[in-house]
Amino acid sequence: MREIGKAIKFFYHYMKRYKIGFTVTILAIIASTYFQVKAPVYMGRAITELANYVVGLSRGVSDKGSFMQAIWMLLLFYVLTVVGMFISNIVVTYISGNSTNRMRRGLFGKLQRMTIKFFDSHQDGDILSRFTSDLDNISNALNQALGEILMNIAMMIGIIIMMFHENVALAWVTVASTPIAVLIAIVLISKTRKYVDLQQDEVGKLNGYINEQISGQKVVITNGLQGEAIKGFLPHNEKVRKATFKGQVYSGMLFPVMNGLSLVNTAIVIFFGGWLALNGDMARTTALGLVVVFVQYSQQFYQPISQISSLYSMFQVAITGARRLNETFDEPDEINPKAGKQLSGLKQGVALKHVHFGYQQDNEILHDVSMNVEKGRMVALVGPTGSGKTTIMNLLNRFYDVDKGAVTFDGVDVRDIDLKSLREHVGIVLQDSVIFSGTIRDNISFGKPEATDEEIYAAAKQANIHDFIMGLEKGYKTQVSDENSVFSTGQKQLISIARTILTNPTLLILDEATSNVDTVTEAKIQKAMDNVIQGRTSFVIAHRLKTILSADKIVVLKDGKVIEQGSHEQLLEEKGFYSELYHSQFVFE
Amino acid sequence: MKILKEHARKYWLDILLAMVTVVVMAGSTLWQPKLLQNVITAILQNQSHKITTLGIYLIVIAVIGLLAGILNTILSAKVAQSMSADIRETVFRKIETFSFGNIEKFQAGNLVVRLTNDVNQIQNLIMTALQSLLRVPILFVGAFILAINTIHQLWWIILVLVLLVVGISAATFGKMGRHFGLMQGLIDRVNELAKENLVGVRVVKSFNQEKNEEKRFNEVSDQLNEQNIFVGTLFSVLIPAFTLVGNLAVVTAIYFVGDLAKSDPGSVAAIASFVNYLMQVMFAIIIGGMMMTFSARAMVSLQRIREVLDTQPEITYPEVPEQELDGSVSFENVSFSYEGENTPTLKDINFKADAGEMIGIVGATGSGKSTLAQLIPRLFDPQTGVVKVGGVDLKQVNEKSLRKAVAFVLQRAILFSGTIGDNLKQGKKDATEHDMNRASRIAQAAEFIDRLPERYEASVEERSANFSGGQKQRLSITRGVIGQPKILIMDDSTSALDAHSEKLVQEALNHELKGTTTFIIAEKIASVLHADRILVMDDGQLVGEGTHAQLVKSNRIYQEIYATQKGKEAI
Repeated sequence: MREIGKAIKFFYHYMKRYKIGFTVTILAIIASTYFQVKAPVYMGRAITELANYVVGLSRGVSDKGSFMQAIWMLLLFYVLTVVGMFISNIVVTYISGNSTNRMRRGLFGKLQRMTIKFFDSHQDGDILSRFTSDLDNISNALNQALGEILMNIAMMIGIIIMMFHENVALAWVTVASTPIAVLIAIVLISKTRKYVDLQQDEVGKLNGYINEQISGQKVVITNGLQGEAIKGFLPHNEKVRKATFKGQVYSGMLFPVMNGLSLVNTAIVIFFGGWLALNGDMARTTALGLVVVFVQYSQQFYQPISQISSLYSMFQVAITGARRLNETFDEPDEINPKAGKQLSGLKQGVALKHVHFGYQQDNEILHDVSMNVEKGRMVALVGPTGSGKTTIMNLLNRFYDVDKGAVTFDGVDVRDIDLKSLREHVGIVLQDSVIFSGTIRDNISFGKPEATDEEIYAAAKQANIHDFIMGLEKGYKTQVSDENSVFSTGQKQLISIARTILTNPTLLILDEATSNVDTVTEAKIQKAMDNVIQGRTSFVIAHRLKTILSADKIVVLKDGKVIEQGSHEQLLEEKGFYSELYHSQFVFE
Repeated sequence: MKILKEHARKYWLDILLAMVTVVVMAGSTLWQPKLLQNVITAILQNQSHKITTLGIYLIVIAVIGLLAGILNTILSAKVAQSMSADIRETVFRKIETFSFGNIEKFQAGNLVVRLTNDVNQIQNLIMTALQSLLRVPILFVGAFILAINTIHQLWWIILVLVLLVVGISAATFGKMGRHFGLMQGLIDRVNELAKENLVGVRVVKSFNQEKNEEKRFNEVSDQLNEQNIFVGTLFSVLIPAFTLVGNLAVVTAIYFVGDLAKSDPGSVAAIASFVNYLMQVMFAIIIGGMMMTFSARAMVSLQRIREVLDTQPEITYPEVPEQELDGSVSFENVSFSYEGENTPTLKDINFKADAGEMIGIVGATGSGKSTLAQLIPRLFDPQTGVVKVGGVDLKQVNEKSLRKAVAFVLQRAILFSGTIGDNLKQGKKDATEHDMNRASRIAQAAEFIDRLPERYEASVEERSANFSGGQKQRLSITRGVIGQPKILIMDDSTSALDAHSEKLVQEALNHELKGTTTFIIAEKIASVLHADRILVMDDGQLVGEGTHAQLVKSNRIYQEIYATQKGKEAI
């Protein structure tokens, strides 16, 4: 129940600006319903008048005036019904389209403001599904269900009023079976939910199995495991077969049952109406019209019941979607200090002072780490996997904040610096390069969209990728994306280096890629890196000996502690961890 | 369609019954207005004795219709899920016969989508087909005939109605299909942008590009909204339009009955049922149109499944008795090119490896070294030339003997969810704990396995998320060596290991698997330094062969590679 309350609040937030639209919709629906339920009365009257006319003919009277009047009224009411329907449909389409669009834009905007911690602790697929299935479910519910539910409820009320207005006895007969129909609908819906959940579980397991097996098909082939793969598949498939059956039966049952009940109900109404016409105390011609009217009502009356029940599940998933979007919106934003200091270049240097940090509260990764880099110098961070090199990089750019100690720029704590200004001065080249969809030019000018062609070419030349780009048919205008690009892994790295060169950062953080690339590209990357490091203050997480050797200072990390630091020669003389690493792994010779 | 026919055979009785029940259902729906007409006639003629009989008829027929509907749903569900499960099984079995080439052509992810989404689409198609495919034409034709039969003078009203409804449907459904396509494209684009912003969140933040990315996204989002509203507007017009057309037909019918009443008083009684039939004709057309639009999607799925089933496995194995192969390998004038590529990946390769040798293969990316290795376990067949293992042409060896003799460790370490033991047993079905200990020591995996309290019973999660890249590779190597294969191929499979562990693995291979011929494919010369022999590949050709010392002296290509890598590799 609380969930529904929250969902209502959520939808209210996005829809409150459409108050006029909603008023128009509701008025249109009320009007349209009024005309729709009233129309059968005129049809009944037309038939009654026609019967009167036929009866009158035998008496030599030929007057079709009242028949024609009824027909004109019927026509008018039909047209007005349609006009009302049209107005409410159009308005609902605009409201639901625009509010979904605002949700989508809001969600993306929120993503841009959230902390890196959120992204590191949630799976991409999970976040993406908010854009896909959750927003989709909400949009479907708003688009299809909102108008229909309102219309159907209005319809039901309208028909009930009309029926009791026309003939109380027949009205009771018509609505008598409603409780049964509603009960059956509720049972069917809850059963459907239960079995569809079970079905989804089994289908999920089967899909998981299929995904894993087919993705690993090369292992299956090289180990000759095809027989085993099929053996594992069969029980999963069998379970799905069993679970799907009940889910399908119950979910498929709603329409035929409601259709059948409507048929039975109509039969009863005809039967009783006929009996009433002959045994009741009203004129036969009047009763005749009543029967026709009530046949229409009986059919119309059942429509909302089956419609509302089939829309119910739509609302169910939309409410879940609203909850998940709400959760995202409730996540904290990145903290930017009020009136933070604006940086203008670096004067002395950057330092980590007694930094303690952990991603989780009770699991400290960095223990009392201190180091500094002077302006224009390069520090190489060295150490085994898991020693905390990447974590330090996360702190320099304020992707995360330290637990204790401080990261300082010219002695100023980064937490006191305006976030935007800080990041303008810090450039990062990540280990895994990212390509955004768009042209190659867009990708290089990513951090400086206003860059001129000359600037872009210069950056690409320094990154050793200009010639390759010029060799492409469309040059810098070639369309690329992360999954579908003309670039090899190594060339992607060059693009991301060019991207950083273009923004000309004061402090450079470079995470050297470990992936294997061919020797030609390798040499290019090396040279591009030399170019980007040249003359900049930089932290480099180094994997290549050449990079380490060109550093002004080497900091050796192990298990989150700085265990050695100094120049290459100094560290070799110390005969510590670094010297051991150097000797045991320097493989040529 | 052929797939459906083949898989329907098993369930012909259920399908037949489902069809019968649909006919019964449609029949009872059609009969009701006829009885209504009789009731009205009885009222007009004051024949009260007829009412009871007619009433009982009415109710019995309606109940039969209801029961038929329920039975139909059960049968349809049964057939739909059985057939789709059968189809899924057929497709899965088919994929299991595929060779490397087939898998690469389809791409694994794509095959998964076909097995899941596409089969699902087909299941929905079968379900709706059995529930309403017959119902719609029966209702249409039945209502059409009955309507004309009821008041034959007004046949033209029905005709005009049909033409109008078909006209409106044809005009809008086609347009809608186009816009659905545009919408799908924009939805994909929204997902792409969201996804790349997730993957590149650090880049976006560190370049301060949040606002620009929002702008880029909002443009697409607004376009999507425009399409959404367009399609919505189309629907907003469509439904009232249908209603209006139907209503106009009703009014026209009543008006003209007014003229008929003079000469044919019976037609007054017929109005109600005539109107009823008119409505059914209209609904049948609308539902039919919608079903056609939506089943188009299922037809695409059917076609995609057809493609999988029609694919011939590129490699089939002869039915010959099992044989023990020794570890010698020879390539005789082997040339190979991937399908659809003009330039051959391997050009006239000749070499021999003796049992027990350790052979390194180096060369630039794209030089063909991985391809060469993949011919040894017959993952591909060369276009010309012969590959022999143990002196026997691979085309004369049955699959089981070959898999037993050759173990291949892929560059990308793939583990399956289950336990570590389950994964290792893939390399040797009846592996004992002793085997596992031995193999994991060789692959330097024992070190971390021993630290796990459950050791070989420790679970491997989906996507093996609970192991690091280096651990995965070591487990993958363990799986490769556990069966003590005659030939072991390591395709750059130590790339995530540090130099120290890599060296330990190679030393262990040297000691523990003396009789095994080992092929080590590597980007780094450091990885093959200690090989008995190194093959140098360049642009699909074998350009050098010898020990490190020999090649450094005499081979130009090797010297180039060596020069760029020298002193580069460290920590």
